[in-house]
Amino acid sequence: MQDSRFEFVTVDARVAEEIEAPSYSYWQSVSKQFFKKKSTVILLLLMVVIILVALIQPELSGYDPMNSPNINRPEMRFRGISLQYPYGTDGVGNSVWDVVWAGTRTSLLVGFIVACINTSIGVVVGAVWGFSKAIDKVMIEVFNIISSVPYILIVTVLLYTFGRGFWQLILAMCLTGWLSTAYFIRTQVMIIRDREYNLASSCLGTPMLRLVSRNILPYLLSVIMTNVSLEIPAAISTEVTLSFLGIGLNVAVPSLGRMINQYANYFNGYPHLFWAPVLTLALVTISLYVIGQTLADASDPRTHR
Amino acid sequence: MGTEKKEVLVSIRDLEIKFDEYVAVSNVNFDIYKGETFSLVGESGSGKTTIGRALMRIHETSKGDIFFKGKKINQKVGARLHKELIKKMQMIFQDPAASLNERATIDYIVSEGLRNFRLYKNETERQQKVREALLSVGLLPEHLTRYPHEFSGGQRQRIGIARAMVMEPEFIVADEPISALDVSIRAQVLNLLKKLQQEKELTYLFIAHDLSVVRFISDRIAVIHKGKIVELAEAEELFLNPLHPYTKSLLSAIPIPDPRLEKNKKLVVYTGEEHDYSEDLPKWKEIKAGHFVWANDAEEKRYRMQMKIG
Ligand SMILES: Nc1ncnc2c1ncn2[C@@H]1O[C@H](COP(=O)(O)OP(=O)(O)O)[C@@H](O)[C@H]1O
Ligand SMILES: [Mg+2]
Repeated sequence: MQDSRFEFVTVDARVAEEIEAPSYSYWQSVSKQFFKKKSTVILLLLMVVIILVALIQPELSGYDPMNSPNINRPEMRFRGISLQYPYGTDGVGNSVWDVVWAGTRTSLLVGFIVACINTSIGVVVGAVWGFSKAIDKVMIEVFNIISSVPYILIVTVLLYTFGRGFWQLILAMCLTGWLSTAYFIRTQVMIIRDREYNLASSCLGTPMLRLVSRNILPYLLSVIMTNVSLEIPAAISTEVTLSFLGIGLNVAVPSLGRMINQYANYFNGYPHLFWAPVLTLALVTISLYVIGQTLADASDPRTHR
Repeated sequence: MGTEKKEVLVSIRDLEIKFDEYVAVSNVNFDIYKGETFSLVGESGSGKTTIGRALMRIHETSKGDIFFKGKKINQKVGARLHKELIKKMQMIFQDPAASLNERATIDYIVSEGLRNFRLYKNETERQQKVREALLSVGLLPEHLTRYPHEFSGGQRQRIGIARAMVMEPEFIVADEPISALDVSIRAQVLNLLKKLQQEKELTYLFIAHDLSVVRFISDRIAVIHKGKIVELAEAEELFLNPLHPYTKSLLSAIPIPDPRLEKNKKLVVYTGEEHDYSEDLPKWKEIKAGHFVWANDAEEKRYRMQMKIG
C-alpha cells in the first residue's frame, strides 16, 4: 500500500520507558504535605515559642518550689494581674507566671523523655515480636498479664518502690510503658509481614533485622508518628494526675499537677490561679496532639501528590 | 526431545504441605529438567503458589522431599547451601503492585540480593551488575533513583524480573507473572521471559491458571486440581491426548478463535463425581512414557485402552 498522506513512524522503545515526572523524594513530600495546613503551622510556631519560653524563663526567674522569698511579706500575696505579675501571685507570694513556666518545663520534659523511651523500646521489641512466632508465644503472655493491671497503678507501686523524684518517675513510667506500643507495632508487623515484597526479600536472603529496618519500619513510620503524638500528651497527663494526687513528683520539682491541686483551694476567690496552669496544660497537649497527627498524615505516602 | 538423558534440576517426591490442619497440597511428584519450561496449571486456590513457595523455602513442608541438584532442600540447610540456593533459585511474583518495597529505590530493590551476600568486588561492579540487569529487561539506568509507585504495572513486573536476574539464577519460579498485567503488555513480558531463558539457559517453573497461556511456551505441563497433580505430560501430548476429566474440562474452556466453532463448542464440566475411589484408590501412574495421570486401577485400564485407540 502506497499513500503519500501516510508515513511510517519508528517507535523508540527507550522513549516509551522514560519517566517525565520530576524525581520523587519522600521527605520533601512529607514536609510539603505538613506545611500545607495553615492552622498546624500556627500551632507549631506556638509550640516552638512555648518550648523555648519553658526552657529559658525558669532559668531567668530562678523559681524554686523549696524557696519562697516572699513568704513573710503578706502584701505580696494574691496580687492581681499586672504587667509585672502577668498571672498575679499566689498564697505564698510567688509569681504564678514563674510557677506555670517551671511546671510546664517539667511536664514537657516528662512527656518527651517518656514518649521517646517508650516508643524506641516499643518499636524495636514490637518489630521483632511481630516477626518471630517463638517470641510471640512468650510475649503475648507477658503482655496479657501486665496489661490487665491499670497502668497508673503500676506506676504508683513502682514510685513507692523507687521513691519520688523526676528520674524515678521517668523510670516508673517507662518500665512497662513501652508494652502497649510494642503490642501495637507487633500487630502492624503481622499485617504486612507476609506481603509479597517481604517474601521477595526472603527469597533474596535478606536477614530478619534488615527486613525489619528496610521493609517493615518505613511502612510503619506514619503509625509510629500517630503513636508518638498520643504518647506525649498521655505521659504529660499521667505526670499531672500523679502529682495532683500527691504521689508523682516530690515537692522539690515544680509540677503543673501539684499547682492545680494547690490553686484549686483558692478557686472561689482567685479563679485565675487555677485556670493559668489548666489552660496552659490544655494548650500544650492539644497542640502537640494536632501537630503529631498532621505529621503522621504527612508521613503516609498515600497523602502525597 | 526423545530419549537422550536429561539432567534433572528439581525433583519433588510425595510432597505434602499443610497450613495448620488444612492439607493444601499432597501427593505431588514431578521432576523439572535443566533448560525446560515446566508449567503448573490449575484454577485459583488449587495450590500452585503453595508449591512454588515451598520450592523457594518460604513454606515449610509436612511430608515428602524437594531436591535441587540432588540435594534435599525442604529442611534446615547450612549457611553455604542457603547462599547457593538463593543465588541459583529465584522467584517472580504474581502481583507487581505488591511485590516491590514501596519505600525503597529501584537501586536498592535490584541490588538487595547482591548486598545480602556481597556478590561483587567493589561498588563499581555492583552498579555495573544492576545496570546490566535493568537494561536486560528493557529499563533505563536512570530509573535507579526512582521509587516503585512511579512505574506502570508492566514496568514494575520487569523490575521484579531484574531483581531475580541480577542473581544470575539457574532456576526461576514464575508465579503467574502476567495474569495481573494489562492484556496489551502480557506478550511483551512473556517474550522477555523467553528471551532471557534462551540467553541465560534458564529453567522455569511457570505457574498459570489457564492452559491457553502455557501451550506455546511450555515443554511439559502439569495440571493441578485441589492440591493434587492430576495429569502431567509433554505440552503437545497433553493437548492431543488429555486423559483426566479435569484436564479435558480445562481444555474445553480455552476459547477458539473461530466464532462458529466457539458457538457450537461443548463445555466439559468437571465435578469430581466422575471417579469412584471408594475401594479402588488412585495413585500416580505413568500411562505412557512421560505421560502421568492420577488414577485408580480401573481408570488406568481405561486410559491405556484409550491411548491405544486414540
Ligand atoms: N498462608 C496460608 N495460610 C493458610 N492457608 C493458605 C495459605 N496460603 C494458601 N492457603 C490456602 O491453600 C490453598 C492453595 O492456595 P494457593 O497455593 O495460593 O493457590 P493458587 O496459587 O493455586 O491460587 C488455598 O485454599 C489457600 O486458601
Ligand atoms: Mg497463586
